[in-house]
Amino acid sequence: MVKAIEVENFSYKYPDGTIALNGVTLDVEYGERLALIGPNGAGKSTLLLAITGFVRGTGRVVIDGMGITNGNLKKVRSRIGCCLENPEDQLFMPTLFDDVAFGPLNMGLDSQQVKQRVNLALAEVGLAGMAERAPHHLSAGQKRAAAIATVLSMSPKIITLDEPDGSLDPRNRDNLVKLLAGLSQTLVIATCNMDFAAAVSDKAAVIDGGRVIAAGPAEQIMSDSKLMTSHGLEVPRKFINGYSAA
Amino acid sequence: MHHAYIDKFAYQDSPIHRLDARVKFVITVVFTAVVISLPRTTVSILFCYAVGPFVVLVMGGIPLRFVLKHILYVSPFVLVLALTSPWYDRTAATIIFGPWIWHTTVGWMRCWSILGKFVVTMLALIALISTTRFANLLAGLQQLGVPRLLVIQMGFLYRYIFLLIDSAHHILRARAARSAGGVAFGRGAKFAAAMVGSLFVRSIDTAEHINSAMQARGFDGNWRTINRLQVRVVDYVFVAIAVSFILGLYLFVKPLLG
Amino acid sequence: MHMANELLSVPVAAGTLAIAAGGLGLICRKVSKIVSSDKLPLMGILGAFIFAAQMVNFQLPAMPGTSGHMVGAVLLAIILGPHLAAIVISSVIIVQCLIFQDGGLLALGCNIINMALVPSYVGYFLYKVVTAGQSSSRRTYIGAMLACLVALETGAVLVPVEAALSGVLAVPFSTFLVTMIGVHFLVGLVEGLVTVAVLSYLQQVRPDLVLDSLPGKIRLSRKTVLVTLLVFAMIAAAGLSLLASKMPDGLEWSYRERPNQPDFKPIIANENTTITAVDQLQSKYTLLPDYTMRGASADTSKGWTSFAGVSGSLLTMLVVWAGMSLMRRKQAKTLSSS
Repeated sequence: MVKAIEVENFSYKYPDGTIALNGVTLDVEYGERLALIGPNGAGKSTLLLAITGFVRGTGRVVIDGMGITNGNLKKVRSRIGCCLENPEDQLFMPTLFDDVAFGPLNMGLDSQQVKQRVNLALAEVGLAGMAERAPHHLSAGQKRAAAIATVLSMSPKIITLDEPDGSLDPRNRDNLVKLLAGLSQTLVIATCNMDFAAAVSDKAAVIDGGRVIAAGPAEQIMSDSKLMTSHGLEVPRKFINGYSAA
Repeated sequence: MHHAYIDKFAYQDSPIHRLDARVKFVITVVFTAVVISLPRTTVSILFCYAVGPFVVLVMGGIPLRFVLKHILYVSPFVLVLALTSPWYDRTAATIIFGPWIWHTTVGWMRCWSILGKFVVTMLALIALISTTRFANLLAGLQQLGVPRLLVIQMGFLYRYIFLLIDSAHHILRARAARSAGGVAFGRGAKFAAAMVGSLFVRSIDTAEHINSAMQARGFDGNWRTINRLQVRVVDYVFVAIAVSFILGLYLFVKPLLG
Repeated sequence: MHMANELLSVPVAAGTLAIAAGGLGLICRKVSKIVSSDKLPLMGILGAFIFAAQMVNFQLPAMPGTSGHMVGAVLLAIILGPHLAAIVISSVIIVQCLIFQDGGLLALGCNIINMALVPSYVGYFLYKVVTAGQSSSRRTYIGAMLACLVALETGAVLVPVEAALSGVLAVPFSTFLVTMIGVHFLVGLVEGLVTVAVLSYLQQVRPDLVLDSLPGKIRLSRKTVLVTLLVFAMIAAAGLSLLASKMPDGLEWSYRERPNQPDFKPIIANENTTITAVDQLQSKYTLLPDYTMRGASADTSKGWTSFAGVSGSLLTMLVVWAGMSLMRRKQAKTLSSS
């Protein structure tokens, strides 16, 4: 059976020789919401780069049934959308419309379809009617939502998000949780905020030292206080008393 | 901060904002050229010309205080230029203005004329920029024949100026926090170099990230955009009014005023 | 330094704009053939970098109250090559003009020539000549310093030349020229120091950037360099010769005849008959100036027309402003009540 993402024994070294990922094996089913949790520098971001084809190492990475090669990179990236850590890097056009339209235009859609997709994507992230705004006039929360819209407009099957909760205040973080809950795509979310991870995921994988330490249902992984603390993490509030009670 | 708010009025909505960017740009250029080509000692006709951009600004809902403050902000160089005129040209001249008669010099007339032209052309430029979204202006420039490479370049530039200016401010604040009072020149220059250098490295990193963001969304080297400009009947009406205003003043009112 | 609208006549503005546009068009065409598309964001960001870097200023020696900042053309030319540098700096100048209203719309051509095209190519050429392909740090620094000084001076000298060609100068040409050269010697020195310091900083932090290996760098062939220099030399020669014929004394007002002042003697007598003829033609067809010369029969009616024109204009503006304010207030009221 085809899975959304299959990573098998994937390893990657930085140009300076430091090992970033060391024999990673990880499967993600369609419709799953996987939280990649781990301390800073564990290799979460590099793993996201690997499954979006920006980092090529040894081992196997299969996205939506396609192994990543130089030839099919563009096709793979129409199935898997990636939101970078800093939305300022994701929003590089003079207006929000141009930013959200950038992907669909590269897919070769005609202008009518592109406009339709842009409007849908913006409505989905709660930015309807703001298409003509310039990115530098948006708030931090709006920028985050806009960055997600730039990916949504390509209607990918999978979306990866790198620390999407970074520099958001609690209210904006709540809004983001609601936004992500409303998406139908397979999600892979890297974060080091455990409460956020618990709120948005149904599966979790602990990454440390470039390896997958444990993977499984979110509640089972994140309520294991021994596992969590030994990798510099903490049990999210949601699961502190929750596991036995539920 | 001064810079972040410069184009804030471009995102309002008004009949002027809705005019085609190409039309507004070309009219602004023509207007500027005509005003600059007026004789070098005229002053009174400049008041008449000021009416045009003034009406556009008011109709566009741009606060006049903002406009005046901005003109003052960019004026120092022209002020110096204007003030040299009275020094170099002391030919006596008499001005008769209504019931008043002034004895002054041609140099002073030139000085006022330079300042007047400066204010009027700045009014026009501010009217253009604060009623036109930069993205539309860029699209317009491209259709007017500006090379696409330059247009794309300016799009990125506009998008990231504000971000990098903020970075520069952070760095400057960090310097101010650590240097109480003055800094010796040698160290000052070294500091400046480190600041500029780190800004440079940061810019290159940002560029690499943007590159990834573009690749991730299927960018293959062909820059595709949707045409966002459309000339409507209103635009023709605006052109007709603007041209008759500019030419009318030049041909009929200017000779009268002398 | 930014040239202003007011220093130019329309023909000179149009001419320089045409030269700048032609030059930029050629460079863009060449660059888009050679440079791959992933350099687009890099160029854009470096433009924004130039903006931000210009805000980083520092105290000048021996001149309290003034501060220097860098312009960056030579730095970019050294790192990116002259073509990309010229495009980046030009885009900075255009955006500065449009969004920040630095330098006028008509002066855009002059500003692009003076501050982007000339410094990028002159600076790069000098740097290459001095370093001669060797990467010893002493040569690099001397090359960068010299490139900054000469590139900025060349650009600065063009300002009075363009102003003089326009015939708008009140200041004598020579005074203006000497002032510009003097001021820009200092500016170039500062620019050189900062450029050298930035290069040495980069050599420590990111040696890959300085050593010719930044992606997107284009090296110039010898032929291109020679052709560019030749073109610049021709433009300069043409400008200077035009200037020589047009501006024999610099004080162009002084040679004009003043019919109303019989005792007025031109400070420098003008022997050039063409110029006097042109002047007479001009004064014949230029509409009456805004002032009356002393001794002329007081033309009171003219004074009243001016008065009417000015007060009418002011009144119109007042009425428009008041009308729009009233309308806005009404709109706001209906919006809030509904």
